[in-house]
Amino acid sequence: MEYLGNEYTSFLRPVDNLENIEIALLLEGIYRYYGFDFRNYSIQFIKRRIWHRMRTDNIENISGLQERVFHDPKMMEKLLSDLSINVTEMFRDPSFFSSFRTKVVPILRDYPFIRIWHAGCSTGEEVYSMAILLYEEGLYEKTRIYATDINGSVIKSAQKGLFPLNRMKKYTKNYLEAGGTRSFSEYYIVKHEHASFHPFLAKNIAFAQHNLVSDQSFNEFHVIICRNALIYFNKLLQSRVHQLLYDSLSLSGILGLGSKESIQFSGIANYYEEVDSVEKIYRKIK
Amino acid sequence: MTFKTKLYLGFGILFGLFIILQVILTMMLDKLDENMDGISKNYQMVKLANTIQEELSIFSMDSRGLIANPPEKFRSELMNGKYNALKRANSAIESLRKLDREEKSQKLIKDLRMMNKTLTKMEKKSDELFATGDTEELTKLYWYKSSKVREQMTEKADELQNIQVKAVNNKIDQSKKTYNLALKMVSIYIIAGLLAGLFIAVWILRSITFNLNKVTSVMSRVSLGESGRLPRIKVNTKDEIGIIGEAFNKMAESIEMQAMQEKKLKHSAEEQSWLKTKVSEVSNMYPGIDHLDTLAHRFIMKIAPMVEASYGVFYIKEGSGDEQYLKKAAAYASNKPHDIGIEKFRLGEGIIGQCAIDKKMLVLNDIPENYMKVTTGLGMASPKTIIVMPAEFEGEVLAVVELASLKQFTPLQKMLLEEVMGNIGITIKSILRQMQVEQLLQDSQALTEELQTQSEELQMQHEELRTVNEQLEEQFRQSEQKTKELEEVREILEDKAKQLSLSSQYKSEFLANMSHELRTPLNSLLILAQMLADNPEKNLTEKQVEYAKTILSSGNDLLHLINDILDLTKVQQGKIEVNPEAFELTEIKAFAERRFIHYAKKKGIRFYVELASDLPKVMYTDSQRLCQILNNLLSNAFKFTEEGEITLRIKRADNQLSIRKDDDYASSPLLAFSVNDTGIGIPKDKQRIIFEAFKQADGTTSRKYGGTGLGLSISLEIARLLGGYIDVKSIEGKGSTFTLYLPDSIHDKAVTELSISKHEAAATLLPDASQSPEAPVQVDEISHYPKEEKNLLKDKKILIVDDDMRNIFALTTVLENYQVKVVFAENGKGGIDVLKEHPDIDLILMDIMMPEMDGFEAMRIIRQIPECCNIPIIALTAKAMKHDKQHCIEAGASDYISKPVNIEQLLSIIRVWLYQQK
Repeated sequence: MEYLGNEYTSFLRPVDNLENIEIALLLEGIYRYYGFDFRNYSIQFIKRRIWHRMRTDNIENISGLQERVFHDPKMMEKLLSDLSINVTEMFRDPSFFSSFRTKVVPILRDYPFIRIWHAGCSTGEEVYSMAILLYEEGLYEKTRIYATDINGSVIKSAQKGLFPLNRMKKYTKNYLEAGGTRSFSEYYIVKHEHASFHPFLAKNIAFAQHNLVSDQSFNEFHVIICRNALIYFNKLLQSRVHQLLYDSLSLSGILGLGSKESIQFSGIANYYEEVDSVEKIYRKIK
Repeated sequence: MTFKTKLYLGFGILFGLFIILQVILTMMLDKLDENMDGISKNYQMVKLANTIQEELSIFSMDSRGLIANPPEKFRSELMNGKYNALKRANSAIESLRKLDREEKSQKLIKDLRMMNKTLTKMEKKSDELFATGDTEELTKLYWYKSSKVREQMTEKADELQNIQVKAVNNKIDQSKKTYNLALKMVSIYIIAGLLAGLFIAVWILRSITFNLNKVTSVMSRVSLGESGRLPRIKVNTKDEIGIIGEAFNKMAESIEMQAMQEKKLKHSAEEQSWLKTKVSEVSNMYPGIDHLDTLAHRFIMKIAPMVEASYGVFYIKEGSGDEQYLKKAAAYASNKPHDIGIEKFRLGEGIIGQCAIDKKMLVLNDIPENYMKVTTGLGMASPKTIIVMPAEFEGEVLAVVELASLKQFTPLQKMLLEEVMGNIGITIKSILRQMQVEQLLQDSQALTEELQTQSEELQMQHEELRTVNEQLEEQFRQSEQKTKELEEVREILEDKAKQLSLSSQYKSEFLANMSHELRTPLNSLLILAQMLADNPEKNLTEKQVEYAKTILSSGNDLLHLINDILDLTKVQQGKIEVNPEAFELTEIKAFAERRFIHYAKKKGIRFYVELASDLPKVMYTDSQRLCQILNNLLSNAFKFTEEGEITLRIKRADNQLSIRKDDDYASSPLLAFSVNDTGIGIPKDKQRIIFEAFKQADGTTSRKYGGTGLGLSISLEIARLLGGYIDVKSIEGKGSTFTLYLPDSIHDKAVTELSISKHEAAATLLPDASQSPEAPVQVDEISHYPKEEKNLLKDKKILIVDDDMRNIFALTTVLENYQVKVVFAENGKGGIDVLKEHPDIDLILMDIMMPEMDGFEAMRIIRQIPECCNIPIIALTAKAMKHDKQHCIEAGASDYISKPVNIEQLLSIIRVWLYQQK
């Protein structure tokens, strides 16, 4: 860390913002002790989440949080859940799925077998959405979806295929907007306050824990969906992950990003052509 | 002498010689001609002299003849002859006289004339003598006198002849001489002429060819060598060759000039093209560069070797306002940019700073020795020239470049530098702008992403808050409800106690009345039908007997139905009394065999009753009710089985189901009475509804197999009364197994309570997809849902709009099971009316194809009613119509479900749309 390398000043004049130093120390410590590497996450995001945790638990300063984090694994768990944002919904950004249906599916039809990597799948809503979409397009049987997330507990939750009932109206609306061709209710059964999605949707999905920050590519894919994961990273990490995604894509493979994300400054923009610039769907061309 | 003169002169001389020759020849020929004339005159004179002699001889002969006294006849002839001869001699003499003018000849001719005259006179005398006849005298005269004259005359003629011959000979000699002379002269002359001509020709030819050779040899040597000089012809004559030579020299000169100019032009064109190439080479490098440092680096690396500079630094202006300074961005001839050149200049500081202000190219010569050195591996040297140039754009200096060289910069190199520096300004500016834009874009992208993270975080926090809130609410609600429930239960119990007695009283009365009222006419009907069917008087046709039988059997069915209804009501009201007693299980076996073995034989089905060995011997329960249930189950089995076998097995239950934990009979072991058949079986999705009142697995079943569909319901209710339940396992087409689980003993006291409080709990034991072994989905999680599951639908009001009463009936039956209040309408219009009457409707199930007003229109109208715009509407669409779905959503449906409706799906979808966030 650069902060540590600075010379000692006898005048006790701070050379950098104390908060920055504390955060850097905390993240370095978490990496060294727990192995979670948040060092290249967006600093603004990290700050907000740390402050959130501190407010919730009435901790006065970051060093105090650090003390708790290092000596109480439960606090680390809490902080970890603070740092992993699992916001998702079925057919999130319906226009993305609609565009995927009209522009990408025709490309996929020609493949004898389709491998899709859904990186940062969170609780799996979008993975099931993709499964439904492919099922309706008659491609699901030859598809295998690898759904990964850094957070093991959300992966477990995703495997169950149970989604809260209170969101189903929204999901139904999304499904319709995304160009669903059947009725959404065909895919689930309501059990108590959850909609349980049919097991056949999960049969070609492999859920696994995978860390975009530290882990390597594990296969070559025809489609990679990585939506709203990169926004939590800083520029350096973003380009590293972009490289990882690029390396994991087969030639002519499709990359789908979140609506607010872009490959423009990733340094590999030239290796992709736009399939849909608004929905951030790209195709690897070299 | 010119060619012309030479040619004129040469040919003139030849021509003159020729004329002289001609003259000489003419003269010679004249002389010859003259000689010939003389000769011919002489020859004439010779001839004349000859003629004189001849004539004299003729005269002499004739005269002699006359002397000789010739006959008369010849005399005159002779006489004439004689005189003619004289005359001819005379004329000859005369001719001679005229011809020969020479003195000697003239004297001779005069003598001759004289003698001729003498002779003539003598003749005349002779003639006279002759005439006188003097012969003597005559002879004398003749012989003496005339002969003498004649002789003299002949002599004289001879003499003359000689003279003439002599003259001829002379003349011939002379001619010969002249000829010889002429021949000689001509020969000499021709030879001389030829020689002269030859000489002249050679001279002219030589003089022409010599000069021509000179010219051609010069000309053939013509070629523009490196020197650009052409050979010249030395002009020393003034003839045409001289003119040609001069013309050639002039031409050579102008060619040389031309060539020189051309060379100059070519040189400058080459320079221009070099310049252009280099400039374009430099500017071709610009596109694709998106950073100033890259530009500076590439520029200096390119331009320094181009102008043979051995050192170069590129400064870029940075900062703004007063804080502007020039910062080193790249250097040439240095591995590290910090090696050479000062890092930073303020404007006006040093030559670099000054250059940025002056905006002019500065060239420094005469660099002092101790200035910076250009270093190579072998040594170092001071540069000769340093050039400092600004790069401007619209009057603003954006960068300064400094180059040092060991040589002077050539004008061309300077031109290149000027040109290149002129171009780079705009590139720097555009890169600056591009960088700005990119920076802005990056910032905006970062902000967008930041916004997205924040929104996601907020969303998550919102979600968390909501969860917490819900939990709190739930807790609050639960505690509140608990107290309320307690209160209610107390009140209800009180109330119920009153009501029960009252209503059961009413109901019993009503039912008693009913049964009586129904049974009495029915009985008479049956008896009469029986009588008719028996046909004792044998007056009915076979057909009529058949009809009567049909009436009888239908009436029997009706009777059973009424009985069943009575039973069911009783059971549901808990009015059936349970009379537990101890009995042996073998009695059950006996009962079953007694009841069905006969029937089995008739139908050709094998029937077994098996008792497990570990069974208790005695069972304590209401045996009558148990038999009723078994009777029911076995009847069903026989009804739906055409061949194969039916088995009743009684054994201990394998598993004690968790539901029984809170039972009063938890301690009692369960016995399982399973009826196993090989009949038509029941589809999985129908296994639940067969237990519902009036339901059979297949709508068509009743027609084929008869029956009211109440049997199982009653059995189930009774089973509950006895503290047990019924389970079904069936494979369609293979057969079914209905298993009745009963505790082996019950207590009398619990019986009445049981009838109500266990109602719900038992109902949940109905076969459910989630509990069947094929779908082991989270059994543990779902198992605790049911109690609340009903809450979601309970007391909701659902409007069903469908033109088919059967659908309405079926849906109502299902929904009422979940305590849903159902209202219905038979078309869109009616639906809207009903909706207006019941503003508390929670959800609408809307069929699409209806008479009068179809579902689309109805939905559109409903959505326009302000109070109704948020009511969930679920459209029931026909599966085949693909576009219907889209239309449904457009018309205002919240969701749709395809017909035929899957009950499970319908319930799910209703739950989704009725779900309300508390």
